Amino acid sequence: MQARSVWSLRLTTFMVALIPIAVAVNFVGKYVAQVLRLPLWLDSIGTVLAAILGGPVVGALAGAVNNVFYGLVQDPVSFWYAVTSVFIGLAAGYLAYRGWTKTPAAAVGLGVAVAVVAAVVSTPLNVLLWGGTTGNVWGDALFTSLRLSGFPVWIASFLDEFVIDLPDKVITVFVAYLIFRGLPERLVAQAGAVAARDAD
Amino acid sequence: MRPPSLYVPGSTPVHRADPVTKGVWAASLTLAGFLVPDWRGLALLFLLNAAVLARAGVLRRVAGLVLASALLVVTFFVAQGLTHAGSGEVAFRAAGLPFYREGLVFALTLAFRLWNTILAMGVLVLTTRPQDLVAALLMRGFPPRAGYAVASVVQLLPTVWAAVAAVLDAQRSRGVETDGGLGRRLRALLPMLGPLVMASLTAAQERAVALEVRGFSRKGPRTVFRPVADMPGALAVRSLGLALFAASAAWRAVL
Repeated sequence: MQARSVWSLRLTTFMVALIPIAVAVNFVGKYVAQVLRLPLWLDSIGTVLAAILGGPVVGALAGAVNNVFYGLVQDPVSFWYAVTSVFIGLAAGYLAYRGWTKTPAAAVGLGVAVAVVAAVVSTPLNVLLWGGTTGNVWGDALFTSLRLSGFPVWIASFLDEFVIDLPDKVITVFVAYLIFRGLPERLVAQAGAVAARDAD
Repeated sequence: MRPPSLYVPGSTPVHRADPVTKGVWAASLTLAGFLVPDWRGLALLFLLNAAVLARAGVLRRVAGLVLASALLVVTFFVAQGLTHAGSGEVAFRAAGLPFYREGLVFALTLAFRLWNTILAMGVLVLTTRPQDLVAALLMRGFPPRAGYAVASVVQLLPTVWAAVAAVLDAQRSRGVETDGGLGRRLRALLPMLGPLVMASLTAAQERAVALEVRGFSRKGPRTVFRPVADMPGALAVRSLGLALFAASAAWRAVL
């Protein structure tokens, strides 16, 4: 049997079934973060987990479906940010395939990488749509003080997004990593899990 | 505890309009909002969408969404008012800091763009069941597997939502602390999410098998369980939406 490429668009039925589950997990993560009064969004745990399990294509599709669905049932502005979610899925899936889920330290690195990707993709959207602010009070306070000190809009806007994305995505990815580590072998094998787990 | 939803059931002409037409309208008017360079033009789009939403009887719901964006709008006025100096004309001073006139006008434009997005998309999402939207898209050649992925979230969420409540209670009764310092609350994250994700993934496995035995991977055309009919006048509504979009683009190009 020919090995399946990590970028293959031919998804197994389980991979397709994984996508709505990922969206549901995103919703649950966000809700649990609110219940625990955590100052984080944690709304992409499902996307990252789907990406680790099924690869970048499944991750990207989970991200896209997530924002379309979120736009339909919760916040119409979310459609715009589907681009960010797609890139979170692509980045997490590809880097997991490259072995960034082998150790806890690598998983933290994966979180930082996902945060950078999320902020880089969101910044043009934030600048073009909303003049650079994100709607997060702390981030926007930073944006305003950077602008007043003479920083260009793009840099101020990137840092505005990044200071929120960094803790959020590192914890999101780490939670997804811990869950991934605890999954039964049978399930991981069926998902076509491209990501490697350390031998434990 | 109910899963999130924006759909407001109803039987107004807006509700009965076919989802694709509403989708074209929502997309063209949202994009138009980002092209119109002046807040007064945006206010016109705002009023137009508000009239459609009033006809659909969902003004109260959309007002809630607009109010929910208040914090974002405040940050527009503070961040842009303080930093977007333009010609340097100061509108007023607060706590010794100058708020520039051009920055405040720009913030007003941004606010109207946000509200216009909420209202235009609201015409679609507040009056359309997500399942009907997917069915209408499938009838126009949207890939069935992608259609399944969106539509099944609707069925899945109530089940998962019930499981959330059960797991929260179960873990609290086992002594997982959900109050206290930030570190303690962070540590509660895994015992909460772990069982939910595990149960969901098992459900995904079962669904994959159930889908497979029902011919999910089969090639060829599909039929739709709830056919959605095109409404009379659909073409006129879509054309109007696209015309407004084109007019906004022209306005932007001229200025």
